[in-house]
Amino acid sequence: MWEMALSRLDATMAILGLNDGMQKYLREPRKIIEVAIPVKMDSSIIEIFKGYRVQHDTNRGPAKGGIRYHQDVTLDEIKALAMLMTWKCAVVGIPFGGAKGGVIVDPTKISINELEKITRRYIFEIIENIGPEKDIPAPDVGTNAQVMAWILDTYSMDKGHSVPGVVTGKPICLGGSQGREEATSRGCVYTILSTLKVLGIDAACLNVVVQGFGNVGSNAAKILFDLGHRIIGLSDVTGAIHNPGGIDPYKVADYIKSGKTLASYPEAQAIGREAIFEIKCDILVPAALENQITASNAAKIKAKIIAEGANGPVTPDADPILAGSNIFIIPDVLCNAGGVTVSYFEWVQGNLAYFWGKREVNLKLRDIMEKAFYDVYNASQKKKVDMRTAASLIAVDRVAEAVTLRGIYP
Amino acid sequence: MLKKIECFIQPFKLDAVKDALIDAGVEGITISDVKGFGKQRGFIKGEIPNKEVKFLPKIKLEIVVDEEIVEAVTRTIVRLAQTGEFGSGKIFIIPVEDAIRIRTQESGISAIL
Repeated sequence: MWEMALSRLDATMAILGLNDGMQKYLREPRKIIEVAIPVKMDSSIIEIFKGYRVQHDTNRGPAKGGIRYHQDVTLDEIKALAMLMTWKCAVVGIPFGGAKGGVIVDPTKISINELEKITRRYIFEIIENIGPEKDIPAPDVGTNAQVMAWILDTYSMDKGHSVPGVVTGKPICLGGSQGREEATSRGCVYTILSTLKVLGIDAACLNVVVQGFGNVGSNAAKILFDLGHRIIGLSDVTGAIHNPGGIDPYKVADYIKSGKTLASYPEAQAIGREAIFEIKCDILVPAALENQITASNAAKIKAKIIAEGANGPVTPDADPILAGSNIFIIPDVLCNAGGVTVSYFEWVQGNLAYFWGKREVNLKLRDIMEKAFYDVYNASQKKKVDMRTAASLIAVDRVAEAVTLRGIYP
Repeated sequence: MLKKIECFIQPFKLDAVKDALIDAGVEGITISDVKGFGKQRGFIKGEIPNKEVKFLPKIKLEIVVDEEIVEAVTRTIVRLAQTGEFGSGKIFIIPVEDAIRIRTQESGISAIL
């Protein structure tokens, strides 16, 4: 994953014509922290977990990025994701650098008590390197608002006063932002609507397929449904469903909440999980995991637009195939940047101790997403490159400019 | 950010202003026949004002645009609506929180483009 991130960066830097020194600078994360996290488990046995925090860049502002708890976490993965955060913050123009953290642990296999102990000790180990002006963590795979609340508490205890700006994705009663939960989906929908505009597609009752029905996928489906579009296909880890007449994502969410599986949803036809990509539609939103659309299935996709709700859902070898089918891709760094954008709002609100209503958050999010979309789209038109390349060019160029302006210390 | 431009001009200037606004990137204009008075209280050049107020006919234009083109639009109106006399009109610029196209539910800038 790290090699893939570097090869994409190298290609971008070559187009930009950055000098050797700058290329070396941008390839290396500024700081890599590796910690051992000793925890006395419920059984009284001491276990050691490995944790990382990588700060890829802090030239445009404090580092920002999630913390993931997963058994497959590797340092290379965290480095790649930290770099991705640098580009994402730069594309949408919010004043953050990029970071990512991770702990090698399967959160489903430990108790809530153990999860809290791991979180608090991990934060204690990296406490000198985080903070509202240094590096602001957020939820990611395997972490949630409760974990953020523990981080807030641990950091605040150490400082002797409450510091809500140290972390985002907090529960609302501890200074979380309105609209944070569906922010990624909302941002994704804003980029889709702008795409319809530039492609001259009438934004009335379009056919939508959403792959993945987690936070991003389910909310994106609901928002598009509310806007009068027809959700004709949905999938999650258990299976996929298809109904050309339309599916109500609210009903599906309730159905799953009641303990049943998506595939058994009665008002649609169950299909194979892979078949979700073969449904003819206007908009396809991959909102599950990375590497879902590959050279082997890209040719089967019959969508006009792919909106990358997930990180890296399209592999590099699939890109040219999709381009060949004339499919417009809204790249992940742009498409799913709504989450970090509202994290930025949460950080601002926390630092000011002044909180906004949901409507204000959503309108501000739309402004930022639309501006970012048109920045990328105009660059892609001007430089005659695809949207993914254009987004990288803008991001890397903005960071390189910040590095140049600040200079190298001392 | 959207802005609403509400302006009041002399009726005989409407055609020229309308055509130039379309060239400036305006996607929609609503007009109404209105009557009003300003600082001159409706008295035109050569008339001797008394304490009364006279309502004179004007055209009101309502235009919602992206803030990027507000200046181009107001410059155009000023240039073409000027008569050289009192009563040429006024322009007001008002912030718009949001816009929604009823048919598609598109909102914000998408609703007016």
